[in-house]
Amino acid sequence: MTHRASTPNASRRSVLAGMAAGLAAPGAALAATRRRGDGPEPRFLIVLGGSGGCSIIDSFMAVRESESPNGKILNAWPDSLVQSPGGGPFRAIDFSSKTIGAIPAPFTANQSDFVKRHGQDMMVVTYTGTSVNHGVAEHRSVTGNAAWRGRTLQEATALTYGAGRPIANVHLINGTAFTDRGTDDSLPSSAYGERVPAPNLWPLSLDGYRGVKGAPDRKLFDAARDFRDGMLDPESDFVQTFAASDRLKRWFELRGAPLRDIEGADLITQLMVHPDSEDMPLKAHGLKSSPLAKKVREAFPAYGFDPIESQAALAFLLIRCGVASTVTLGPENSAVFNKGAALGRGGLSAGDMRNTPIAFDFSHQAHREVQSLMWSRVLSVADRLITLLKSEELAGGKSYWDHSLLYVATEFGRSRNRPEGAMTFGSGHDLNNGALIVSPLANGGRVLGGVDPETLMTYGFDPLSGRPEPGRNMTEAEVFSGIIQALGIETPGANLPDMRVMRRKA
Amino acid sequence: MRILALIALIAALASPALPARAQEAAPASPDPRIKFKDGERYLRDLAESLEIPREEICLELSRYDCADKAFRIVLGGVDPYDIRIMQPLDQASLASPIAFDRVALQVCSGRVARDRADPAASILFKRAAGRPDAAWRDALADRLYDRILRRSPDAGERQRMAGFLEGLEARSDRSAKAQADQTILACFALASSAEAAFY
Repeated sequence: MTHRASTPNASRRSVLAGMAAGLAAPGAALAATRRRGDGPEPRFLIVLGGSGGCSIIDSFMAVRESESPNGKILNAWPDSLVQSPGGGPFRAIDFSSKTIGAIPAPFTANQSDFVKRHGQDMMVVTYTGTSVNHGVAEHRSVTGNAAWRGRTLQEATALTYGAGRPIANVHLINGTAFTDRGTDDSLPSSAYGERVPAPNLWPLSLDGYRGVKGAPDRKLFDAARDFRDGMLDPESDFVQTFAASDRLKRWFELRGAPLRDIEGADLITQLMVHPDSEDMPLKAHGLKSSPLAKKVREAFPAYGFDPIESQAALAFLLIRCGVASTVTLGPENSAVFNKGAALGRGGLSAGDMRNTPIAFDFSHQAHREVQSLMWSRVLSVADRLITLLKSEELAGGKSYWDHSLLYVATEFGRSRNRPEGAMTFGSGHDLNNGALIVSPLANGGRVLGGVDPETLMTYGFDPLSGRPEPGRNMTEAEVFSGIIQALGIETPGANLPDMRVMRRKA
Repeated sequence: MRILALIALIAALASPALPARAQEAAPASPDPRIKFKDGERYLRDLAESLEIPREEICLELSRYDCADKAFRIVLGGVDPYDIRIMQPLDQASLASPIAFDRVALQVCSGRVARDRADPAASILFKRAAGRPDAAWRDALADRLYDRILRRSPDAGERQRMAGFLEGLEARSDRSAKAQADQTILACFALASSAEAAFY
């Protein structure tokens, strides 16, 4: 069911006031503004960063052993495990195992459900990267190897679609280079990413007053801020001495309009996923959950202990509440277990290991198990996030999802060889791979490029027609450009290649 | 000449305080490099100067240590083991000054609550016998500068702080709570000032 947004007005002040009241759909107001010619239609970019190499031939371009002359010594899957859901172009691996390499951690992984539900919006694009170094490759996956003066996809999105949003570019995942700042220093500071180290507690940092026990009246607090900003600081010897410091300038800038916008939007409430509880005693501190929190918690019930679920819950609210135009999330690099899971008496119970250590990169130890489990995890989160976005109307009968693009960014592919006939084996890094893009804005329902059955290496396609071109390798810049163009971002002077086949509309 | 100089000095000391804005501006640094006093350093300093145990000085939702748990990265810390953030943020994030204000407000509210609960051992808040007067305000300004910035205010600073307190008093009643609130707010303004946040 789609919930209709209700706010017809459009000014920045009214949008923020509506958000504060918890009644409005700010995105709808912004959309109305843009329909009147004040700006572009809203677009949202969701980057789901898969550290360690989400291998495309272990998912949507999987090859059956019977299809490859070298299938027994390359990473071709047993025919029975390779699905073709719905008879479409995408393959899928549905796989169960009692172990992950040497770890007794049984699991069941599923990719075909995602294809069945979202195949019409899925676009798989082959490419060959330029680095097998984790950090370098991660960053290049979002800059297209500096295709556009080094700015990231997220920065470009925030620059185009972030106006009027208090925190346009939000980085929910940490410890990866998917969220490193780009190298284009010419952008306004609002385009660069805001780091969210702890999604569950972060909303508390978005209001300097609410929820502080024993604090004086809000108006007096505001007067104290005015005194500090207008008299105490400007007249102090410290500030006069160091007035030219960039740090100080930025501090004072942030204490102005950005602070007022954030606090004015009541984000401490709008983004609060947790209910009142012993762990989060909101009520006792005069605070409460987001009006959408219950719905979000139902979609991501492990939000309290599984980092990617807490990130995804907040990602939805950031988009839905008109706070951000782009969010970046992804699986942790640490192992994540179910609550109460314990080793012993034969190992973990089925599904207890939710996230492998070092994420997809644990493929070094157990390639197929890790790829299956981690793909399943990433797709499950993507599915629930998409479902939530589909359930909320932005404007004009279109949902938030109708305005969104989800990009599963990753670093590289994995090596293709394996000991003859082995099901459990380790793999290394390989430049050759492909990327998953899911969006109504993309040219969905397509696999662009193909796989050479002799080597299991992917090959490219014609950027205009999409015709497969064995022997051609697509570049990071081409994938970057296709995403930028599908999002409708203007790129004057960037000289990006025309990737017509990757966008739904010309 | 010495006598004339002495007369001039006595006259200067006896005259009313100089207008707040009449002082000469401090010279600008030719190399204005400053560092953000990260959350842990900030709270340790305040814990010592305001005589509040470090582990009690700022607890978000009465549970989560402000610098260690709630705002660790936002306030310039690192967390290499759990979330692989090895370096403090290059620049203050949008949330940084807001979280900093929140921490300062909690610390000041907490200190004044302790002072009200045990007036004999009070540090910042000392209730005026009657209506707060200039002496009360000056004494409070001196205590705040001493405890928070670890220095004495100059004449202009004392006068500006007194003016702020007078303005607050005009907007509230003469109750003990109103005086306590004035103390919290003056403490907050100073504890969240640029001089308190950077070094």
